[in-house]
Amino acid sequence: MIALRVAWITMRELIFERVFYLLLTFAVLALGFSLLLGQLTYAEQAKITLDFLLAAVEVSMVLFSIFMGIGLFKRELLLGSVAMVLSKPISRSSFLIGKYIGQVAIQFAVMFCMLLVTLAIQSSFHGDSSVLSVIQAVGLIFLEVLVLTAMAYFFAVNAGTITAAIVTLCLFAVGHMRESLVYHYNISISRSWIWPVIMSLIPDLEIFNMKTIASYGYTLDWIQLFWAVVYSFCCAAFFLFIACVCFANKDIAT
Amino acid sequence: MTSNEFPFDISLTDVSKTYPLGLWKKKEAVRGVSFAVPRGEVVGLLGPNGSGKSTILKMSLGFIRPTAGEILVCGHPPSERQSRAFVGYLPENPRFQKFLSAKEVLFYYGTLCRLEKSELSKRVDELLDLVGLSDARAERIAGFSKGMVQRLAMAQALLSRPRILLFDEPMSGLDPLGRLELRRLIGRIHEEMPEATIFFSSHVLSDVEQLCASVILLSKGELKNFCRIDELLGGRSEAYEVTARGLPAEHSTTWGKRIRRSPLGETWSIEGTDELLAALNDLKTMGAQVVGVFSQRASLEQKLFGKTSVQEARTPEGVLL
Repeated sequence: MIALRVAWITMRELIFERVFYLLLTFAVLALGFSLLLGQLTYAEQAKITLDFLLAAVEVSMVLFSIFMGIGLFKRELLLGSVAMVLSKPISRSSFLIGKYIGQVAIQFAVMFCMLLVTLAIQSSFHGDSSVLSVIQAVGLIFLEVLVLTAMAYFFAVNAGTITAAIVTLCLFAVGHMRESLVYHYNISISRSWIWPVIMSLIPDLEIFNMKTIASYGYTLDWIQLFWAVVYSFCCAAFFLFIACVCFANKDIAT
Repeated sequence: MTSNEFPFDISLTDVSKTYPLGLWKKKEAVRGVSFAVPRGEVVGLLGPNGSGKSTILKMSLGFIRPTAGEILVCGHPPSERQSRAFVGYLPENPRFQKFLSAKEVLFYYGTLCRLEKSELSKRVDELLDLVGLSDARAERIAGFSKGMVQRLAMAQALLSRPRILLFDEPMSGLDPLGRLELRRLIGRIHEEMPEATIFFSSHVLSDVEQLCASVILLSKGELKNFCRIDELLGGRSEAYEVTARGLPAEHSTTWGKRIRRSPLGETWSIEGTDELLAALNDLKTMGAQVVGVFSQRASLEQKLFGKTSVQEARTPEGVLL
């Protein structure tokens, strides 16, 4: 209940943020640019446009997760407004989870709008892709956003603004290359024990990538989707849990 | 022991706090501080910048964990969420979400205090009246002056009718009128909630002198003194300053000692109440107009720093009485 109240205020706060409108502008430009790039291709215009559109949705949402989440949370700590909230009989976890829910809710709304735009553009091309495959692809990006936002909060609690943003971005990149990194480890001669430990801590974000599949009009079966949902929730819960533990033990000297 | 059975609202036992400064260096902000604030007192936490005032307040709220020692707020450690149910906090620089109105801010913080909606609505109206923001209830915080934000922050601190009010430099950054308003407000809160303990930090001696019954003196993180203001200032004074004008050109007085002449008139220093009454009678007979009679009780500032230079006053010995 308290977390939901914090979430509601966070949502309203984000709507009044300048960075929100900057990122929104970026999202609109990215969609427009994808449409333009798709037109430049010789063949498979519909497929390539959709691929670019989905990539634009993903990149925009990644930037939303990282810059809005970290920026908002850090600013609360630096300006001291967090002290006013935490002086009330609420737990730090409620505050953090409330912030997370509020941000994710706003991201959901933005993604929904982007999905509608993508579907509208896709229908104008009459390509192979189906509405369901586009919805699935955007849905999986949302699941990825849940994990990334939780990661961003974890690093925001434990590091400075720039460090947290860089590390989260790096983990986003590594998370998408995880499979090939594991492959290279398996065929390498000198194997260090630390490598598998590190790789097991990095979530496999490729699970949420079905952009190419969607552009060919294929869909995932419900079991695959179910496991993607479970995996996303588990990863997000893990990062949020350790973020809450760290935040509960952190000195707030604002 | 329940919170009502616990005799002190805030108690610190041998509390220390060390902050890391980089990898190797450390700074001891608070060193072995022990005191207990009895219920219903207005206590000032006094000391120069960097003396550990804010650190003590933040440790009492659970924002910062002490490196050593024990803190109890109404019998609960500050790390327990329950301890904050008894506390209202006003930070040095309160910040609110600027897009919210005064009423929305109080509703938000009231919900965090778990107040019922019907009760909260009544309480918000009461508090906006108390802090003089009834007319600005629907205005956004973005348009508020610093004084208005400070008064709104005071209102949010009072929402849950707390037993302890912790104010961290409440007058910081306010103009003289804002300070006066806030001082009057704190006085009014104490009158209306006599059972509430008000514990506030300040480095402005006159604020502490006018508001507090007791004072805790800190210097370089150490407790130097915890006593009643009256004891510190030496109780009632028998010395007065009398200023009068319209005296005849040639006049002589048998009482007091003339200490200055100003556009307001002539000022005498007088020892003892009998001599004061004689002087006032004499002045009336001479047809003079008495402009002012002031008690010459030493101020807290004179008591603390009267004999020391600014540099000395910043050292532990300077603040030590």
